[in-house]
Amino acid sequence: MKKTHKRSSANLNQTSHYNAQPSVATRLRERYTLEQNSKGSLGQGTNLRGLSRRQVLKGLLGGVGVQLALPQLELFSAPAFAQSASQAQPFFGLFYWANGTPWHAAHGGQQAQAGHPDLWTPNDVGQNYSFSPLINPLARHQVSVITGLEPHTEIPGTPAGQGDGHMRGFMVALTGDRPQPETFDHSSHTLTALRATLDQVVARHPDFYQENPLYRSLEVGVSEARFHGYGHWNAISYNGPNSQNLPILDPGVLYDRLFNVSVDTSELDRRSAVLDAVLTEAQQLNSYLGQNDRIRLEAHLEHLYALQSRLSASQQACEAPLVGNYSGDLINKTRVMGDLIATAIRCGLTRCFSLQLTSPASTHIFSNLSVPDGMHKTCHDGHWERVRSITQYQMEAFASFLDAFAEPDASGMSLLDQGLIYGTSEYGEGWKHSVKELPVLMAGTAGGRLRSQVHVRSAGGNLCTAQLSALRALGLPIESFGWNGANTSDTFGELFA
Amino acid sequence: MKVFRFTFGVLVLLCSLYACEDARRVSLTESSSVNMMTDLIAGEEVVGETAENAGEVLGGETAIDVSQLQDLVPGPPVWSRLTQSQYRNMVSDILGLDSSDLDLEPDTNPYLFTSIGSGSSSVSAFGVELYAEAAFILAERYFASDMNVQLTTGCLPNTVDDGCADQLIRTLGLRLYRRPLSESEFGRWQALAQLSATSRRQEDQLKGLENVLAAMLQSPFVLYRLEQGMASLDDEIHHYTDLELASRLAFTLQDSAPDQELLNLALEGRLKENNVLEAQIDRLLNTERAKASINAFFAQYLDLSRLKRVERDPSVYEGFTPSLLNAMETEVRLLVNDLVYRRDTDIRLLFSEKKAYLNQTLADHYGISLEQGSPIIFESLALPEDTVRVGFLGTAAFLTMNAHPTETSPTLRGKYIRERLLCQEVPPPPDDIDLNLEPETGEASTLRERLERHREDPACAGCHSFIDPPGFLFERFDSVGRYRESVNGITLDASGDLDGVPMSNLGDLAQHLAQDSRLSTCMVRQVYRFALGRLEEEGEESEILRLHEKFRAQGFRFKALIKALLMSDGFRQVGPSTELNNDNSFNSDE
Repeated sequence: MKKTHKRSSANLNQTSHYNAQPSVATRLRERYTLEQNSKGSLGQGTNLRGLSRRQVLKGLLGGVGVQLALPQLELFSAPAFAQSASQAQPFFGLFYWANGTPWHAAHGGQQAQAGHPDLWTPNDVGQNYSFSPLINPLARHQVSVITGLEPHTEIPGTPAGQGDGHMRGFMVALTGDRPQPETFDHSSHTLTALRATLDQVVARHPDFYQENPLYRSLEVGVSEARFHGYGHWNAISYNGPNSQNLPILDPGVLYDRLFNVSVDTSELDRRSAVLDAVLTEAQQLNSYLGQNDRIRLEAHLEHLYALQSRLSASQQACEAPLVGNYSGDLINKTRVMGDLIATAIRCGLTRCFSLQLTSPASTHIFSNLSVPDGMHKTCHDGHWERVRSITQYQMEAFASFLDAFAEPDASGMSLLDQGLIYGTSEYGEGWKHSVKELPVLMAGTAGGRLRSQVHVRSAGGNLCTAQLSALRALGLPIESFGWNGANTSDTFGELFA
Repeated sequence: MKVFRFTFGVLVLLCSLYACEDARRVSLTESSSVNMMTDLIAGEEVVGETAENAGEVLGGETAIDVSQLQDLVPGPPVWSRLTQSQYRNMVSDILGLDSSDLDLEPDTNPYLFTSIGSGSSSVSAFGVELYAEAAFILAERYFASDMNVQLTTGCLPNTVDDGCADQLIRTLGLRLYRRPLSESEFGRWQALAQLSATSRRQEDQLKGLENVLAAMLQSPFVLYRLEQGMASLDDEIHHYTDLELASRLAFTLQDSAPDQELLNLALEGRLKENNVLEAQIDRLLNTERAKASINAFFAQYLDLSRLKRVERDPSVYEGFTPSLLNAMETEVRLLVNDLVYRRDTDIRLLFSEKKAYLNQTLADHYGISLEQGSPIIFESLALPEDTVRVGFLGTAAFLTMNAHPTETSPTLRGKYIRERLLCQEVPPPPDDIDLNLEPETGEASTLRERLERHREDPACAGCHSFIDPPGFLFERFDSVGRYRESVNGITLDASGDLDGVPMSNLGDLAQHLAQDSRLSTCMVRQVYRFALGRLEEEGEESEILRLHEKFRAQGFRFKALIKALLMSDGFRQVGPSTELNNDNSFNSDE
């Protein structure tokens, strides 16, 4: 067995291949055409970097209810296209919680034998349905709920374990497809998405952003507990295989990223010149890379262009949020994150986000609810009553998050009138990992496209129908959604106004 | 060592004041008291003692005939982005700057290793923002003191285009890019310096150079390692170039960019010479950085990061604190360091030796008395022949991270042995199976009895009879690794077996595992993945066996394995990219 492989003799050619393939980068550059002249409208030389809130907020992590009222700062960045709620394009948010709902008969035979009531599914269907006990915390936001759904995605037998409730579930619930089979490894729980998650389907759709956004999307997380340290478990937002958008877990970091930006024009000019040089150089790399690595390079370039376009975007006043009473309690932290995200949307910094309350298969210990074990084990041990109280708590956190979007502006409109926040989890229940009755909630009316407080019952229905309904509610012309047996072009008509 | 002697005095005093209690289970042996103080202190380990034994200590494995193995088919190149620690070490080594206060995107670790994550994961938008932020801040810090520039070049530029400025750009370029800048690159950085130097005043001229550094620190040529190899004229096999080899050695062994000595040898075209390479590996192996790298390998291979996420209720587990978790992790690090560096001996002893490294916190936890306990200093203790704790599997680290907050888990512990230590595949539970063990009915039943039911159910028996029996051997260690004989008045049965070999306790398992060639082969496989930043390809299986044979022949000394790996064709040769054919190999000479 001699001889290994052959390569083109071009490898021996000593001539340079610099500047060989401008294509990808050039395309990207055209997409992010800069508007340098708009910089002139900025106020002179005020550098707000010294006003970092980060250390202050960081100091509160895990602290006990220290009251923190930040002064409102008058000058913060916002693009010229920030609009009032009534005129604005819809925004999209993804809200994720772990470990589904408490099990009941519709989840399967064994679950039926356990004899616990269904506290999730409302008793009646249609608009103005009566809230069930577990959805009741969200009543004030008139959320819609779709029940009975399950993934119709087929799962290959090898490599083994792809049917695993958490891994399959979290990919299916967020992408409408299974995990990528060739990189799946159950032993180290290595997995990645085959394609973009719902938030990125939206954020990257050519019709979603009419103008280049300052932030294509924001990724935020609340609980830091992880079933695995493996990076791929830390994100619920994926651009594609091995391209995860890790959530920001520290409100101070999020605050700094969004609101603590320099408005010193000479500094912005300087950074722009530096980024120009970096981009020119980065484009040279493309021709040396294989296909997968080119995708990685493209992602890097895209983010550099986005960074540069932010430096040169025109800015106007934006009121930074008041962040108060951050104690480290999950509900409390969720609300703080909600305030920051809602402000970012109001200021036109972004129109897309994901919030991961708890991570897939969360090991979060809800000691505040007198639950001694991590949530994942609590589910597996069959502690139904504990899972019930955890689910209720997570719904209270969701409601508290939505509070940040519910305040009406001068015209009487709230962000919830303008957008859609899609709530889901990785499977129906965590005791036996049943993917039946996978929960889906929708909050907001997406600029009048959706009705509020609707219960749609679709027993055994295709989960992708709910996902496609959400995408259509945003006005995206997406014909069908779902892969590997789950493709559908149906939506739930009852949801739409 | 001053700190150390001082502490010694204090400890002796303390010990005489509070007459040390007798050990409940273990007493200090003579040798351990002699040894005790030669060991570590946080950040001040003692190294370089004579190797205790160059030959095999444990025995148990037989040679294989490597001539029967197939030739290597080198695997594809990996385009790795620097890990967090590599970036920080590079900045420290080349610019002399601390970056620990600057956030970077967290690494990912598919298949356990950050090196694999760095070769496959895309950076996120926020990650690129963090790079930019760090680059501007670090460039500012670097130019805040003329001393930094002087240290790099021996001169201070007056203008962006004087000889000293040129030298600065070229020197920073060489170090950060791990190769000389091409002329067009150099021209680009000169142009940027001129563009951003707003006046002829020296400080503004330096500002122009500061921008060059800020840009370099964001260049994908710096943040990613482009290593593609090149065919030599008389051979179709692609070898990594001298400069690429310098990078590979440095990032693997130093977790940082190559130093000037490596670069010089590479530029002279001498690094590929075996004797030069060997001498360099020897040089690098005996650095603090190499120690940290090897520690990082063991932490990832043994999946120790899970320990950081362990939560226990202190009202149930008295004394359970973050410092206890830290001590658990430190103990493993010291056991590894002892075998790899202090004694340079058979690494398989990690699993079978009756030895512990304890500070007061961990000693209290184990119920072992120390003559001179300290919260900071870890003492090396030889445990008695009949100790219940043997090797890594007897450490609180292993026992705690493979248990639940409310009960132990023979399943998790057994699964760990199968997957982590033996590189075996444990099939996941079938879909839609009853994963639940019936809750205790009526009288108290032990976890073991409940788990036995798994083995009666044919749907579960296949796997649980594979993973549970070795796991039962740990039943006398609770969820935080404390020893116990009974639970609720029921004496715990801690017998079990591995592949049908009956065993009565952890000691039996430890002895067996340490001489099991599956364990040492698994370790080689994992080091191979760690160093190459990807899973092995089929054509590399033979290389793993060849490395294992070298490992065996050299007494399973871990440093010998590392050296063999870094000298091996698997590490020095490269196959074609698995995807698109790319005809362009990088070459800095334009």
